[in-house]
Order: sequence, then C-alpha cells, then structure tokens
Amino acid sequence: MAGTGKAHLRTEGDVLLRVEDLVVEFPVGRTGLKVNAVSGISLDVLRGETLGVVGESGCGKSTTGRAIMQLPRPTSGSVLFEGRQLTDMSGDDMREARTRMQMIFQDPISSLNPRRKVRDIVTEPLAIWKRGNSTEQRAKVDALLEEVGIDPQRAAESQPHQFSGGQCQRISIARSLVLEPTLIICDEPVSALDVSVQAQVLNLLEDLKAKHGLTLIFIAHDLAVVKNISDRVAVMYLGKICEVAPSDDLYRAPAHHYTSVLLDSIPVPDPSVAATKTAIEGEPPSPVLPPPGCRFHTRCPAATDVCRNEEPKLREIATAHFVACHHPLYGDDVPVSVA
Amino acid sequence: MSIAIQASTRTDDGPLLELEGVRTHFQTPRGVVRAVDGVSLTLERGRALGIVGESGSGKTILSRSIMGLLPTRGTIRQGSIRFEGREIGGLSRRAMRDVWGKEMAMIFQDPMTSLNPLMKIGAQIAEPLRIHLDMSRSDAWATAERLMNDVRIPAAGRRLRQYPHELSGGMRQRIMIAIAMACGPTLLLADEPTTALDVTVQAQILDLLGEQRRDRNMSLLLVTHDLGVVAGHTDDIGVMYGGKLVEMAPTAELFANMKMPYTEALLQSIPKLADPSHTRLNVIAGRPPDLVNPPVGCRFSPRCPYAQDRCREEEPPLIPTVEDPRHTYACWYPVGSPAYHETKARRQREAEVAA
Amino acid sequence: MTTALASSTHGAAEVKSARKARHMGWMFGTAWLVVLSFCALFANQLPFIRTYDAKVRVAGQAKQYGFGPGWTAWLGTDNSSHDVFARCIYGARQTLFIGIGATIIGLTVGGLLGVLGGYYRGWVDRAISIIVDCLLAMPALLLALLLIQRTDQIKETITALGWLTRTEEITITLGILAIAPFARIVRAQTLGLRERDFVLAARSLGAKSQRVIWREIMPNLVPAMVTVAVTGLGILIAAEGTLAFLGLGVARPQTWGTMIDAARDDLSKAWWATIFPCLFLFLTVLSFNFIGDHLARKFDIREAAV
Repeated sequence: MAGTGKAHLRTEGDVLLRVEDLVVEFPVGRTGLKVNAVSGISLDVLRGETLGVVGESGCGKSTTGRAIMQLPRPTSGSVLFEGRQLTDMSGDDMREARTRMQMIFQDPISSLNPRRKVRDIVTEPLAIWKRGNSTEQRAKVDALLEEVGIDPQRAAESQPHQFSGGQCQRISIARSLVLEPTLIICDEPVSALDVSVQAQVLNLLEDLKAKHGLTLIFIAHDLAVVKNISDRVAVMYLGKICEVAPSDDLYRAPAHHYTSVLLDSIPVPDPSVAATKTAIEGEPPSPVLPPPGCRFHTRCPAATDVCRNEEPKLREIATAHFVACHHPLYGDDVPVSVA
Repeated sequence: MSIAIQASTRTDDGPLLELEGVRTHFQTPRGVVRAVDGVSLTLERGRALGIVGESGSGKTILSRSIMGLLPTRGTIRQGSIRFEGREIGGLSRRAMRDVWGKEMAMIFQDPMTSLNPLMKIGAQIAEPLRIHLDMSRSDAWATAERLMNDVRIPAAGRRLRQYPHELSGGMRQRIMIAIAMACGPTLLLADEPTTALDVTVQAQILDLLGEQRRDRNMSLLLVTHDLGVVAGHTDDIGVMYGGKLVEMAPTAELFANMKMPYTEALLQSIPKLADPSHTRLNVIAGRPPDLVNPPVGCRFSPRCPYAQDRCREEEPPLIPTVEDPRHTYACWYPVGSPAYHETKARRQREAEVAA
Repeated sequence: MTTALASSTHGAAEVKSARKARHMGWMFGTAWLVVLSFCALFANQLPFIRTYDAKVRVAGQAKQYGFGPGWTAWLGTDNSSHDVFARCIYGARQTLFIGIGATIIGLTVGGLLGVLGGYYRGWVDRAISIIVDCLLAMPALLLALLLIQRTDQIKETITALGWLTRTEEITITLGILAIAPFARIVRAQTLGLRERDFVLAARSLGAKSQRVIWREIMPNLVPAMVTVAVTGLGILIAAEGTLAFLGLGVARPQTWGTMIDAARDDLSKAWWATIFPCLFLFLTVLSFNFIGDHLARKFDIREAAV
C-alpha cells in the first residue's frame, strides 16, 4: 500500500480540483533531514462531490489540505483549481483564488480571533475584499448566521469565548461561506466536538452543501464520520494514498490491508461485535525516514519481498475502486493468504 | 488519621469501591458549579466499569474525586467514598499518598504531559516501587524491566534508559500503564486513556488494559466519551449527564435494552459504519446543561424529545428495571414505556404533517 | 454503614481572602497614582502645595533642614530650606514624564520590532534578534551612563541639538534600554499567535500580511503590552532613580532620584529629606506593580510575570 500513481484521476466529468504529484517536505531543524509529510499524492474532486480523506496522525492529510490552499506552498506538484494552476500563481492572484476555496479548522475556538466580536469575524472576508457597503455586508452576514443557527443579535455583541465549541464551529462555517466559495476544505471539523454536537454539525454541513452547491474535501481520522459524509474516500498512510474508492464500496470491501486494519480497529458501540477484532501490532514509522517500497510493509500482515523493495502503484481492481498494494485483499490478483 | 488507615484491615469480601451520594462542587466567580451532584455506585473486585458522558457531564471530576485529586481551594465535597471497606472521601492529600500508586492508580489522557520529560523511563517506573515497596535501586529497575515486558514494550532493557520524548504516543501510554501497575493496585482509574491516540494504537492499548486487568484481578474504572470504547472493554456501564448518573447496567444489557432517552439519543447520534453514506444523523437538540443553574426536574428534560410536564418539575430517581435489578435508570417515561411510544408516534405524525 | 462525610468547605474562605488582598493592592495602587498625578498636574493651583522655589524660613532666615516633618512643612525642609513635600510633588512630574515617555519609546520601537520579527520570521527575525541581543548583552546601567555622556558631548559640538534637555536625554536613554525586553516579549507572543488557526483562517480568506498583523495579531497583543508596559513603567522609574543616584539626574526641577542623591549625605542629620522621596519612589513603583499584576491576572497573561 501507500503507493503512487494517477490511475484514479478522472478525465470525464466536471473536475473542480486536480492535484498531481503533490509533495510537501519540512526541514527538521538544521539537521539536514526532512519530514516527508506528503510524498507525491494525486487527487481529484468533481464539482458537487464530497471527497473524504482519512488516515492516522502524521499521515499528511491535514498537510495536504493546507498545501491545496497554498498555505504553505507545496514543495512540488501541481494543484489545478477551476482550470487554473495555483502553484505558480503570484501572491496577489493566489489571494484572490483563495476566496474561491475556504477552510474549516479542527479547533473551533482557536480558529476565531478571541478579541473580536463574532459578527465582525464573519464580516471580515467581505471587509478584506470590500464587497458591498456596510448595510449589504450586514444583511448578508446576518442571513448566514441565521442559516447556521446563530442569533445575529448575540453575534454582534459577543466574543467567541461566549459561545460553546459547537457554536464556534457554526460561526467558522458561516465565515467560510461568506465569500461564496465553490470548495470547502474541512480539516477535522468535528473531532473536537462532543458526540451529540458532532451530529448537529455534520447534518448542517450536508444541508449547506446542498443549498449552496458546495464541493467538500473532508479530512478526518474517524472513519465512521468520513463514511457518513463522503461520496468518495481516499485512505492515506505516511504521506501516500493507499486506496481510493466510493465510500460505500470502500467500507463494504476494503482492498488494502491498512484500510481493513483501520476498519477493524474502530471501537463499535455494540458489545456483540466488539470481541472479534484483531489489533495490528506497532505504530506508524517516522515520516523522517519512511520505509522503502510500500510504506506499510513494516506493519502489514501480508508483506513479501516485493513490498519491501518496490513501491506499489494505484490500480483499478473494481469499478472506480483503486488500490496501491501488491497483494490486495481482493481483485484481479490471487490474494495472498494471510496467516 | 493515617495510623487509623494502616490499622484498618483489608478485607477481601464486599465490593472494592462504593460511592454514596458523592457531590463535588466548585466555587467559581459565576457561582457554585455542581460538577458531580449525587452519584452512588458500586464497583466489584476484578470488574471493569465504564463511565460514559459528554464533556461537562462530570465524568472526569468523578474519577478525580475518587482519587482525591481535586484542588483544595474552593472545592466542596460531600458524600461517602468507601474503598476496600474504609472511608477515603475525606482524607487529606497527605493521607491519600499511601493509597495512590499502591492501591489505586490513575492513567490520563495525555501521556506526554503526565511523564516527566527530564527523567529516564526506568527511573519513572522505579520511583513508585522505591517509595511504596522500599525496593533497592537495582531491584526496582529489574522490576521496571519486567513491567515493561508485561506492557509489551519491545527492547525493554534499552528503553529503560530512554527519555519520554524518544517514544511514540502509544509507547508512552504503555509506560503510563506500567507505572500505574507497578505496585499492584487493586483499582485502576483510566481517564480517556486512548483519546489522544490513533485508532490502531487505541485498539492495542484497550486490549492491553483488559488483559492486564484480568491477569492481576484489578478493577478498572474507564472514563470516556466514546460508547464504542466502553462497549467492548467493560462489564458495566454508567452513563452520566449533567453531573448525575442517569443509567447504569451491565454492558450487554445496556445496549440491548436502554431505558434512558439520553443514552438512546447518544448512541443514535454516532455515525455508524453499517449505514450507507449520507445517512441523516439523529441529533440531540440544544446543549448540555449549565451546571451553575441546572434545569429543574430531570436535567435532560430541556433536550429530551419525550419530556412531559412531570419531567420538568420533578427529578426522577435512579430505579432498577423490572427485568434486571442491576439495570438502573433515572427517567419518568423510559424508552419502551407506553408514554414513550405515544409521544414518539405523535412526533412522527407531526413530522409527516409538516412534510 | 452509611456515614455521610462532613462537607469540607475549607479553602473557600482562603480563596476569598486572597482575592480580597489582591484587590486591595490594586485599589491602593490606583488611588495612589490618581492622587499623585492630580497633585503633580495641578501643583501650581493647589493651595497646600508650595511653589517649587518657595523657601520655608525659620524666623525669617533660610536654614538648612530648618524643619522636620510637622505642620509647617509636612515632610520637613531640605538643605536649602525648600519644602520636601512640594519638591516631591514637582519631582513626580519629572519622574512620571520620564517613566511614561521611556515606556512609550520602548513599547513603540520594541513592539514594532517584536511583531515584525515574530510574524515574518526568517532573515527579518534574525536581523532584529541580533539588534535586540546586542542591546541586552550590554550592562544596562553602563549603557545608560555612556549614552547620556555621549549625548552631552554631542550637544556641545552640534548646537542644533541644544534644545534637547537633560530630562529628554534621560527619557530617550531609558526608552532605548526598554526596547530589548519589550521586543522580546512581543516577539514571543507573536510567535504563538501566528501559529493559531485564526491567523491561518485570515490568510486563507485572502488577507494581506499587513491586515493580518493589524486586525488579527495586534488586538491580541494589547493586553500583554499594556500589562508589560505598566510593570515596565515601575522598573523605568526606579532606573531613573538609580541614574540620579549616580549623579546623572535632572538638576531642575529635581526628580526624586536627584533629591535622594542630594540629601543622602545628611541622612543622620535630616532623615526626612532622603526618606520621603524614597517613599514616594517606592510607593509609585509598588503601585505600578500592583496594577500590572492585576491586569496580568485579568487578561490571564503568564508571560507578563517576567
């Protein structure tokens, strides 16, 4: 697993975003080493689609989201958004392009400036781009706040800390919608929320997506949440993509050993199934010195010599179901028996 | 006072831990926060009890009240906490020091901040052994290595001489478990032990906890927000809401036959892998109660779809179900009661009319 | 057996008394500074304050240390027969001018350097850090002495700078000394803030750096800056006293430091001429510290406890 390749990129359909061979590296202090946060991934998102990106911490999923926004710019690779190449855009063009794509962050409280009034925070995008006069801005902001379930009157008087985490996330969502973007990158938007509030925010995102015709990239570590909201899911491990498939297919028949392990590890709120799972040994290796070949081979129950030496490429094993594995759990190859 | 404790004999019969009417309130500028407001429960030897609740439900404060790890200033504590048959609820920190580590131990959510970054791993495991069991340095380090093998840390001998930052999050949590078990406590309190870890590592740590508990005949109090975590790893589950225990039952019984609408709603609001994508989630409207001014009557009544006038006026007591006396719940119109079905049917009709 | 525990409310009273004590400190500090500033501002109008040059005569004669503390001259008279109380009030004008002026210089320059270094990082940060480190590497007192003496010399050669009074020289000197610590604190705060999600959010909305600094980072720096400025003000006032004590004070009107310096040799003869200016200095510095402490707690700033 964890390979390269672009077999899963689509040529038909209204492709809104196309990321190719994205690489993001960070230097480790002055040691000359580097963190290989994202190592050559390719992705595409159709207009109106929700792409889920799952993986454990350190797999590069958040870095991917930020690299698409060019915050910071990726080390190499291409990001084609609405037909325009973002990676070689000038600073001013990029600022303008960012208004078409927005981001929602994990920590709802930290993503709002604690010393400003909530309404001002939501109005800020309009103020930056000087869209409309103050009456128009206010009408627009108040309508959006209503839509996400925040009382505009209270928003005008209060600062973020006077709202709960779930409400702050709603405010964040309102702010991301003000400039009428086409793409919203949600970086773990519900991880910091309580279960009951998480459901409210997920439903809200679905409603807003339908109403505003949005395209979403939904980054999260919780597979159940990702499955619920996504049309298509990409599984990442150590800076690479392991598997891409329509959401329901992926969960019904995972082809990658890592996907299968991830699915088995989720604690199921049902005592009758909980006893059957087998935990995988070990933890992900350091992204500073990723293993050669398939990056998952150090923990994979089916790893062979070819996995240790040769990096698998993404290939289609069923309709629209792509996997980067030498010995997938099912598909055209004869599956290697797992002891 | 500490003499009296040492004199009290350890009895092997009777429950390990008994709480009765435990209240922990905090004085704040806003008023008195009723973080834990009258919790009674019993934990038998060798059993695992899960305490489930959302943030602000009082689950963490409850575990800290048992452990006696509360700020001394502005804290009001009431009720009785009996551990091994003796009262520990009113003990000072000084007196609790004999209990901590030796008889009850705790592991926390963040394994990085609970380890001393400047001390070698071995020294940190050896410390409780030397304090409580008067071991020599070499004995303590040898025991530390054995403990590290027990929690399945590879190359234990080498790791002993490493510092916390050289280990991964999962390894650190294993070290925390080794430290907690060093002196053979009879009760282990785990406060969200896997929340900071990745799913694959979480499964390993939960399995390790269960295995160690069985091997050492330890009782476990597992505090978490995740119903999935408790489902597979506990014998009993207590659900907390607004500082109170609202339902408690053996794990299988709870999932098969939940009585409290809050428990039901909590379970329904979790996205499930078995459901097709874009399944509409059931939500609990509103927000958790303000514990300075909790709602009158049932604390869940403002958010409960089945609440009636009685719920908003009178607080329901924790009563056992007819079928299973171990299953207790606090609700006037529990799931499955005629009033519940009636309200549910009416709501459905209303929804259809609205649609 | 179901013995309920006695509720342990110990600690609740303690919390209250500690809070009360802190509150008293803040109240005292504010009251002292308000009264002192009022007297200093309206010294010429207030009937109970003698003019700066008025001499309190004993039987028609000016007399060294003619009066001790008492009704005639509340805090006694000094070696040239001036009222110590009046001189302390006029001294407050000087001292507060120097303290506030130096703080403004330090905060503006230091704050600007700190924000730029902290936000842009890279070579900007390195260059600023070198300047700040150089300032910090020199002993502050020695630097101040040198700076003042240098400006004195420069003033002699360049007559265009003749308008620069001693007071202004000291203010600028102390302001320069304050730059480095302010820059350090502001930079540390900025470093923390720029990593926060709301800064990233602003940038993802297309905000320019300038706007991010002004709209997102600056408002969050204000509490820390105010707190540090108030505490720093106390330190700078004390520093002025030290300079005066070493003979680099303002001769006219006297600052508290100059007063102490002038009278200290006669401490055994006339304690009041030394002790009362000391007391004014002490209470003022203490007041600023109380207020700074209060603000730090109010804004919950830990770094400001520096």
